[in-house]
Amino acid sequence: MKKSIQYTYFFEHSPEIVWEYLTKPELMEQWLMPSNFQLTPGHDFQFRTNPMPAFEFDGNIYCKVLEIDPLKKLSYSWKGGPGNGITTMDTIVEWTLTPENNGTSLYLNHYGFEETVHLPVYPLMQEGWKKNIHKINELIKKAQHDTANA
Amino acid sequence: MTQQMLDAFQVIADPSRRYMLQLLSKDSMTINALAENFDMSRPAVSKHVKLMQAAGFISISDIGRERYCTLRQDGFKELQQWINYFDKFWINKLTKLESILNDRKKLTGK
Repeated sequence: MKKSIQYTYFFEHSPEIVWEYLTKPELMEQWLMPSNFQLTPGHDFQFRTNPMPAFEFDGNIYCKVLEIDPLKKLSYSWKGGPGNGITTMDTIVEWTLTPENNGTSLYLNHYGFEETVHLPVYPLMQEGWKKNIHKINELIKKAQHDTANA
Repeated sequence: MTQQMLDAFQVIADPSRRYMLQLLSKDSMTINALAENFDMSRPAVSKHVKLMQAAGFISISDIGRERYCTLRQDGFKELQQWINYFDKFWINKLTKLESILNDRKKLTGK
């Protein structure tokens, strides 16, 4: 089971420009999400996106700046859940910038996902599955019974 | 016409499909019985059913002359993992950053 997400993108821009898009809230908002980010170690901030109630996600992502190496590396914690202070996702987002061919290679590593996160998605569905599984069991039993009596 | 493929998150984004899944969580139903709960045509319900089948949320079996829909766990498994949600999220966001920076290049030349 995968526990991290990794992507590398190349931009025909200097690391200075790419860094700005990773660290200035007004630029981050253009491609990522609105936030109250500040380029200060230990700063607590939040991203806000659309809630997905069916997925038990209230749309708030709680973050803390962990590491700053100007123009090279930035990392922050990335936590979320259904609300009421419940955290079902406790991960880290790490950006690494490398100058390359008159541009910048940007590497994203989003890691720390649990192997199995059992979100309480649709408790109703679980009931449905139990019923269906029960039905299958009944059918198998019946089939075995019929075979035994044949 | 090729059938549209939706991922698990797109499937549950639609309120009608969520309601269909909720109805099916109680028991297997025929497409006709399912359609009785909605203000849409039977072909429209059938289209939603096919999308949910393709995404692994339900299976369809022909019993006699009726088509029965039953919940399947596969589609829901994807929803239970944050990593699946954020994998799509990042592709989406990074592609957006790419297009913003490309436009900037065209405008300013740097």
